[in-house]
Amino acid sequence: MARAFRLLATVLSLLLLVTACGAGQTADPGNDAAPASGQGGQSTAGGESQSLTVGFAAEPANLDFTTTDGAAIPEALLVNVYEGLVKIGQDGEIEPLLAESFQVSDDRLTYDFMLQPDVTFHNGDAFTAEDVKFSIERVQSDAWTVSLKQAMDVVESVEAVSPTHARVTLKRPSNRWLYQMTTRIGAMFSPDGVDDLANTPVGTGPYMLDEWVRGDRIVFERYPEYWGDPPALETVTLRYFNDATALNNALLSGGIDVIGTVQAPEALAQFEDDRFQIIEGTTNGEVVLSFNNGRPPLDDPRVRQAITLAIDHEAVLETAWAGRGVLIGSMVPPHDPWYEDLTGVYEHDPERARALLAEAGAQDITLAFRIPNLPYAVSAAQVVKSQLEEVGVTANIDVLEFPARWLEVVFTNANYDMSIIAHVEPRDIVTFGDPDYYWRYDNPDVQRLLEEADRADDATRDEKMKEVARTIAEEAAADWLFLLPNLIVATTDVQGLPENRVGEAFDLTELSRS
Amino acid sequence: MSAAESAALSEPAAGDAESVARRRRLNPNLIIGALLVGLVVVLALVSFVWTPYDPTHVDAEARLAGYTADHWLGTDKFGRDVLSQLMVGARTTLFVGVVAVGVAALLGTPLGMLAGMASSGWVRELIMRGSDLLLAFPALLLAIMFGAVFGASTLTAMIAIGIATVPTFARIARSRTLQVMQTEYVMAARAAGRSRRAIAWRHVLPNIAGLLIVQASVSFAIAVLAEAALSFLGFGTAPPTPSWGRMLQEAQELLAVAPRLALWPGLGIAVAVLGFNLLGDGLRDRFDPQLDDRR
Amino acid sequence: MLRRTGIFLVSLALASILVFAFMTVLPGDPAQVALGVNAEPEAVARLQERFGTDRPLPVRYVDWVSGLLTADFGVSYVTQAAIGPQIVDRFLVTLWLVATATALALLLAVPVGVVAAVRHQRPTGAALSGLSQVGIAVPSFLAGMLLIALFAVHWRLLPAGGWTPPVEDPGRFVRGLILPAVSLGIVQAAVLTRYVRSAVLDVLREDYLRTARAKGMGPYLALIRHGLRNAALPVVTVLGLQLATLLIGAVVVERVFVLPGLGSLLLDGVANRDLLLVQGVVMVLVLAVLVVNYVVDVLYVVIDPRLRRGT
Repeated sequence: MARAFRLLATVLSLLLLVTACGAGQTADPGNDAAPASGQGGQSTAGGESQSLTVGFAAEPANLDFTTTDGAAIPEALLVNVYEGLVKIGQDGEIEPLLAESFQVSDDRLTYDFMLQPDVTFHNGDAFTAEDVKFSIERVQSDAWTVSLKQAMDVVESVEAVSPTHARVTLKRPSNRWLYQMTTRIGAMFSPDGVDDLANTPVGTGPYMLDEWVRGDRIVFERYPEYWGDPPALETVTLRYFNDATALNNALLSGGIDVIGTVQAPEALAQFEDDRFQIIEGTTNGEVVLSFNNGRPPLDDPRVRQAITLAIDHEAVLETAWAGRGVLIGSMVPPHDPWYEDLTGVYEHDPERARALLAEAGAQDITLAFRIPNLPYAVSAAQVVKSQLEEVGVTANIDVLEFPARWLEVVFTNANYDMSIIAHVEPRDIVTFGDPDYYWRYDNPDVQRLLEEADRADDATRDEKMKEVARTIAEEAAADWLFLLPNLIVATTDVQGLPENRVGEAFDLTELSRS
Repeated sequence: MSAAESAALSEPAAGDAESVARRRRLNPNLIIGALLVGLVVVLALVSFVWTPYDPTHVDAEARLAGYTADHWLGTDKFGRDVLSQLMVGARTTLFVGVVAVGVAALLGTPLGMLAGMASSGWVRELIMRGSDLLLAFPALLLAIMFGAVFGASTLTAMIAIGIATVPTFARIARSRTLQVMQTEYVMAARAAGRSRRAIAWRHVLPNIAGLLIVQASVSFAIAVLAEAALSFLGFGTAPPTPSWGRMLQEAQELLAVAPRLALWPGLGIAVAVLGFNLLGDGLRDRFDPQLDDRR
Repeated sequence: MLRRTGIFLVSLALASILVFAFMTVLPGDPAQVALGVNAEPEAVARLQERFGTDRPLPVRYVDWVSGLLTADFGVSYVTQAAIGPQIVDRFLVTLWLVATATALALLLAVPVGVVAAVRHQRPTGAALSGLSQVGIAVPSFLAGMLLIALFAVHWRLLPAGGWTPPVEDPGRFVRGLILPAVSLGIVQAAVLTRYVRSAVLDVLREDYLRTARAKGMGPYLALIRHGLRNAALPVVTVLGLQLATLLIGAVVVERVFVLPGLGSLLLDGVANRDLLLVQGVVMVLVLAVLVVNYVVDVLYVVIDPRLRRGT
């Protein structure tokens, strides 16, 4: 009996080894040189080249971004199903969309939008200036409940001058408002199409909702009456995987054609062969090591600066996100007009960090490091903790369930010293002007500069914004670990993938297959 | 995992068929089980005094190193030493088992004995129906619910697993207690006017201890598997504490790039589970499953 | 029998209270989660009113339970869709997975268990018995990961995950079910093998079987003719209970293979603080165990008349 067992154990451990090695072979790019069957066979989404399946990590909780927060809803629906008057281009410039053109008055208070004629909603209703009035006023009403609606507070009135001419008057000049109109709050709705937003979105976009299988996929179908250039693909399926590895495996095994956002960049080596293309651009997702500026010990700028100095950002990016992404020194992604390279403000210097901590009398401090249970945060936190140990700072990691627990403890109650979260909203540097925001950063100069920048013309705005970015970097109001890359992997025949993720949407409208 | 759990509930003694003589000999299950468990225990004990590296020390230069002279079992994507993590992870594994089994045994055994000895039918019913009700909440479900309420951590998960295992211990303790209460020496003790407490201590507990130890060993194995599953779901051990379950979960995304990262913690779990299960089987063969009436 | 039914109903009522109580202590407010960052207190209050989470607990409980009695699980806070149909959809997915895995496990476990029992004193028996021990020791998600790495990623024979309803495309449905069912089934088979083995061992020691063998009947034939039915009873009992607990136990495999099953629904519901949904799913899972227990109890009484007098 004993001998039998021994034999068995040997066989089994060998088996484990063999399978493990077998799995290892896929890492060898040469091994899969001959692609299986044709590319047609690769696409399981109907098998024709007229359709495409894109894999994502986070599924929308529902399809109503007017009452439910979360980036996954506009990611799927904006630009594709819902359109705004304006949209954001790849270079970060505002471009007309449903508005053929627009004019801003000299006092920067009145915006005249000349609308595209012949635009219809998916329910057949014509899109007119009345709908613009309806949509904007709806954001201001109680129908919208998400906090982003505050961006519409600046609007004084909306007037339908003619069916194709809408005029918006602001209470005060605000260049931020027009930019916000490219986000979800600028989406145009039909009065007859808002009854069941959670399940039935009705927009003017090139795609309409065909089917939503909860927990699995959303299927879009080309809207035949679309006013603009029709998209090349007849149907696009968005499939959701709550696991980063499952997402990778789906592409490797032909279950999907595109990974919309790579969640496990470490495993990208698997895709480095001629079946796949890898696209790497920028996003608005600043991965921020946030400090609680409102309570000791991080209310002392020297302590915050010391922490910033103690962190080797290259190493963080390398270990947490496989070196993909770019380092940023402040809350500005490179595609914003007021970007400048601030990574040199505090270069990695543990010696100086120790000196600063000693100066502040903050040796051997212990910090409550409360992070959400998200992959990048959990990874980055472990690197940060290890690096802080070297300068005598103890960071106790406490992983909180996201969103429920993290929102409550860190975000709402600011009961934390340090945290890590990706701030993905575009142009969210303005949050440093809000002393009640969870980093509790209260600097009247920054608040004034942001206010002035909002009222100013573009050139002046960029100057003021640069000053804000520099100030918060120098004061170490937070530490910017890195900018999440726009990392897309697709089979080589897919074209028209967005290089940068500049807005909230994943733009499906340009996609095609060769 | 839950399947294995119900297995532990009522599986008859594996060695029933073997003769008593066979049973008295050293049995291979016991030896192999003890060796495997011993291996895990030694790893954990050594980790208190020595590990090659600090298991949580991140070294960006040494990321994803293979089997090298510096890192015998290589490093993970953080450049942490796998061997060191494996050693400290053994500690977590044992901790997990001790807590889960401890909770289950300390709550379940007295309840089961009470249900077997109480004169009030009302108390007996209450305990057994309560334990039946608890059985309706599978361990994994309970752990997910606890994790959501109290936050995910090793301790929360293990207390949940422990509570879910209480009925198992209660049932075994009860059925054995009922048997013991029928024996002549207990009858005699009762006739002599010994107090219930004294009988419980002197006669019942020593007689049911053997089976409870067997059950503890099997439950230990289940708890180890449960921790792995929960860590995989994100409801188990929180970083940076090394745990075999979390090492596996972290290794998942790198399975194609560095399968060895999954191999070692996987092997660790398998060794621990196999060890405790075999130990349980072996002990079951040792402790005569028929009631020992010599006392 | 009446008494058992009574116990079943009381347990059910107590379970519903427990489940409800659990949800009320869950930290994190559903309205707050839905509204996200920077939500104004008034907006949160309005949403709480719409969800009904501002009402006293007993009212909410009675409301929920009376809904349940008419198979109405309520409307989800988050998806704003009826919860009942969602649970049914997800339940079917999990049921397919668990049932297939169990069938597979039976196919493996019965012959292996019987052989292991009949030859329990020989090396083959010991080897099979040891194999089952090793099978139990491998976490099902590790098995799933390895299967994906080999069959889906490396050889590209089978999909790495995902779900196709059988009515939509039977071929793809079957192909998609193979790997998850195998990863779940292996562990189950290992557990079952041990039951079959000990059940058969018990039967082998019975007098009637010894008599049959003394008459020169081979061990397998004797088993098939006389013993299998007796050995089947404990195995079937265990099988029923396994099925019920596997409904949640399958969650790990569902996660690995991205199957939209009941366990995944539970995890998503917890993450979104979709309390009514979580309550509903937990209740269904608990109900499944209670029902199976009840049915087994009743069956025992029916099969074994001796039990009728006892309790």
